[in-house]
Amino acid sequence: MTSGACQHPLVDIRAAWLRAPRQPSKTEQSPQRGKRTIEAPKTAPVLFTWSGMKRGFLRAQPLTLGGFVYGAAFGLLAREAGLSLAEATGMSVFIFSGTAQVATVSALAAGAQNAALAIAVAVLLLNARYVLYGAALRPWLGGLPAYQTYPTLFFVVDGIWVLSLQAHAVGERDGGFVLGAGVANILPWVLGTGVGLEVGNLIANPAVLGLDFMLVAFSAGMGLRMFKLRPSWSVVAAAAATAMAVDRFAPGGWTIVAAGLVGGLVAYLRFKPAATP
Amino acid sequence: MNIRPEILTVLLAAGAVSFFCRAAGFFLMRYVPITPRLEAALRATPLAVMVGICAPVMARGNPAELAALGVVVIATKLTGNDVVGALAGVAAVAGLRAFFG
Repeated sequence: MTSGACQHPLVDIRAAWLRAPRQPSKTEQSPQRGKRTIEAPKTAPVLFTWSGMKRGFLRAQPLTLGGFVYGAAFGLLAREAGLSLAEATGMSVFIFSGTAQVATVSALAAGAQNAALAIAVAVLLLNARYVLYGAALRPWLGGLPAYQTYPTLFFVVDGIWVLSLQAHAVGERDGGFVLGAGVANILPWVLGTGVGLEVGNLIANPAVLGLDFMLVAFSAGMGLRMFKLRPSWSVVAAAAATAMAVDRFAPGGWTIVAAGLVGGLVAYLRFKPAATP
Repeated sequence: MNIRPEILTVLLAAGAVSFFCRAAGFFLMRYVPITPRLEAALRATPLAVMVGICAPVMARGNPAELAALGVVVIATKLTGNDVVGALAGVAAVAGLRAFFG
């Protein structure tokens, strides 16, 4: 009964969200509290609950098949590179990034046994977009204690971040959502790695199932809804132009980094205090 | 079944860097006061990133993928559900590839 408000927060909050000028997010400086001003949750009802985790876990389910099949593709690659089951699944647990793991295994297969530094630099470049993702999560998760936020950030990947911020845009405020979605995604990834390594070629090519298109399709669908909530042609145009330009010489993660930064910059420059939706 | 020491070194290094990337942006923003203007910028990044993911696919102009993006748009509009729209797009791209190689 007391947790009734947690049942369907999207329904309640969404209507208010669309009209209200985002009260909680206006983090005014309160001079008395000194350095806590940025951290303090203010009036924002930021939560971290089981029900939030469950919502995230369930909402992330459509992404899990892709996670499993791509995990299996990585497992196959790891098998060809001569990695053991523990080594391959250990990578999927601790690195938890497809491109970074492929780069790592490729370097190992090429005989670069002592190339930890080179591999670390490659992983840094491949995962640079996560820096942007983390920054964008600050307004949402910033009011939560570090023991909840940093473990949550460990699980952030492209699809989960897109899913979470879309949920946030329609009123989700529970930080558990991000953690639940992330956990839902790492399980099939690790399981898939093990299956791919043990079973090998039985796993179909992800592209045949259209799974390479999953992130694009989700981004398109969720982008449409985000645009409907807060239409901004200037951001869309700037991000599209930037992504297409960068894609010519640095495809992959860098198109995301550049589009996100330029889109954010356009919103920053065009911001009008009175015109907040 | 064991983990060789040299692999473990690489694994831990790559894992630490991965987590560093995930945590760094969030950590640094702790020291940046989030003004309404900056928050507007951060709020715009998801849409910009989503466009950044889709735009190169559109630019490459693979017919199956372009058609599938159209399916995503139409299915999302019709059902009002972006997840249904995305899954319809994935099914469309798989089907179209099977037909047209």
